[in-house]
Amino acid sequence: MANQDFVGIPSQVDTRALNRGATDFQRLRRGLLFNYLVLGAGAILMIVPFIWMISTSFKPQAETVSFPPRLFPINPTISNYIDVFDRANMGRLYWNTTFISVIKTVFNIYTSALLGYIFGKFIFRGRDIIFYILLSTWIIPFEVYLIPLYLMTVQVGWADTYTALIVPEIFTIYAMFMFRQFMYTIPTELIDAARIDGAGEWYIFHRIIIPLSRAALFTLIAFYFMWNWNDFLWPLVVISSHDKYVITVGLATFVGEFWNQYGVIMAGASLAIIPILALFIAVQRFIIEGVVLTGLKG
Amino acid sequence: MIQTITQKFTGSRSTLRAAEHRFIIIALVPTILFYMTVKFYPIFFAFFISMHEWSLFGNVSPFVGLDNYALLAKDSLFYKVMWNTMYRTFAGTFLGAFCSLIVALILNPIKRGSILLRLIYFLPVMTSVIASATIWKWMLQTRFGLLNQLLSFLGIQPVPWLQSTTWAMPSIIVMGIWGGIGFTVIIYLAGLKGIPKDYYEAAEIDGASSIQLALKITLPLLKPVVSFVLITGVIGGFSGGFQAIYMMTGGGPLDSTRVLALHIYDYAFQRMFMGQASSMSFVLFAIVLILTLVQFKLQRVDWEL
Repeated sequence: MANQDFVGIPSQVDTRALNRGATDFQRLRRGLLFNYLVLGAGAILMIVPFIWMISTSFKPQAETVSFPPRLFPINPTISNYIDVFDRANMGRLYWNTTFISVIKTVFNIYTSALLGYIFGKFIFRGRDIIFYILLSTWIIPFEVYLIPLYLMTVQVGWADTYTALIVPEIFTIYAMFMFRQFMYTIPTELIDAARIDGAGEWYIFHRIIIPLSRAALFTLIAFYFMWNWNDFLWPLVVISSHDKYVITVGLATFVGEFWNQYGVIMAGASLAIIPILALFIAVQRFIIEGVVLTGLKG
Repeated sequence: MIQTITQKFTGSRSTLRAAEHRFIIIALVPTILFYMTVKFYPIFFAFFISMHEWSLFGNVSPFVGLDNYALLAKDSLFYKVMWNTMYRTFAGTFLGAFCSLIVALILNPIKRGSILLRLIYFLPVMTSVIASATIWKWMLQTRFGLLNQLLSFLGIQPVPWLQSTTWAMPSIIVMGIWGGIGFTVIIYLAGLKGIPKDYYEAAEIDGASSIQLALKITLPLLKPVVSFVLITGVIGGFSGGFQAIYMMTGGGPLDSTRVLALHIYDYAFQRMFMGQASSMSFVLFAIVLILTLVQFKLQRVDWEL
């Protein structure tokens, strides 16, 4: 976040105010102190569920239901985690989810970048009509597709296969739209210059457009990986064998089976959450800036 | 603006070269065929299903015309579902937009620690709703849940949050706000960044107070962003809520948290009334379509950046 504005309530003081003397300085301090207090209280509310999840996941069953509530377990145990790995087949769930999320994300981003490039940088007859027709399907709720798509996958014999999970979601309209927006930041002269130098169209796309779209690319990869990892309804409907479950469906089933073993359930939830959180924290700088960069202007 | 310039530039070349033509065709034709298959055909298929008494079992699916829609109009459960959906949508969207606005306004002037704060508010956005709902269900558990244990220190009797027809929906709404606030805050912060600093400086010279600055400059200039957040929130709300409600209450108690998305899933895949469920999905489609058109009309959304 390169430029930080000092605007907003209650401390609209800008940096020059600092030089205006003690009263303004106090005003700034008091104003920001209030901001920090409110935000800090909010931040605690935001992370309490995560902290309580981790805390519970290390407690033996008897401690999870004891009063008063304790943040740190008296007899911390990792047996809940061992239980999850043994009984929920966690390794398998991780592998399935990662496999599907990676494949889907690669398809999503590659096709969206290609189409965004075509709709953003080429002039051809019917371009805008085609684009807006594709875009219009964006508003249709998934519930409308749920039943027909399910019947179609059954009909072609894809029920309970990963093909059914991946194929209907290869192309994504949102990412295509974002890439098209991003293309306006890439000068057309650059593409023409490459053409004059004899570069082929695919070469231009792979070696010029994709590298120049890094900012949008990283953000969209992160978001699509997350969405694909967290996807629930479609896998719930399409996949019926346990060994093909993805992590969300696995967790939901697991919670149903171990409904009153809170430590085990929280260990399962932690294991479902932590990889994606770790990944996001690692790349968060790109993402939060990218939300702005890709033109999510509101 | 940028677009018109580039258009002029590329448009001035009289014809596309053959290589460009080939490139476009190779990329576009499969896309269009694919979209026809998975995005357009299913809509017509869904409408076709909604005109039949369609069940996965048994081979006969008699044509019933618009009977499924007529049934909905007479179904008191469906009215209840629509009421629940609207309750969740409007309460969740407006409360969520309000909380996010407050957070964004007080987060905006902060420099030190702002990245960490944003990250903390963003954590639930990254978490799968299934996992969040699992945690919340545990925290709201009547006897051993954290919330009731903490409330008992204040002498408040345990509240059966998710087993009470009064409290189940508010609990789900609060969890939804917790889960979505981080994303909305970032949209607001982007909007706040777009307000020129000169306005504040000019107003300050004229002696405006901080409250006046917020009410007379920040809020009016942020209005397009606020209405964007509200309208997209309402549109999304009508088809949302499935994962949280599936995990936390399953639609109960006494159908008090049964929303449209859950109802459609339940009818289609638990009770196997696919025709009836399809007709509900079209009601949902119609609502979303109308809201989107209203949004276009009201906002004249500027699709070109």
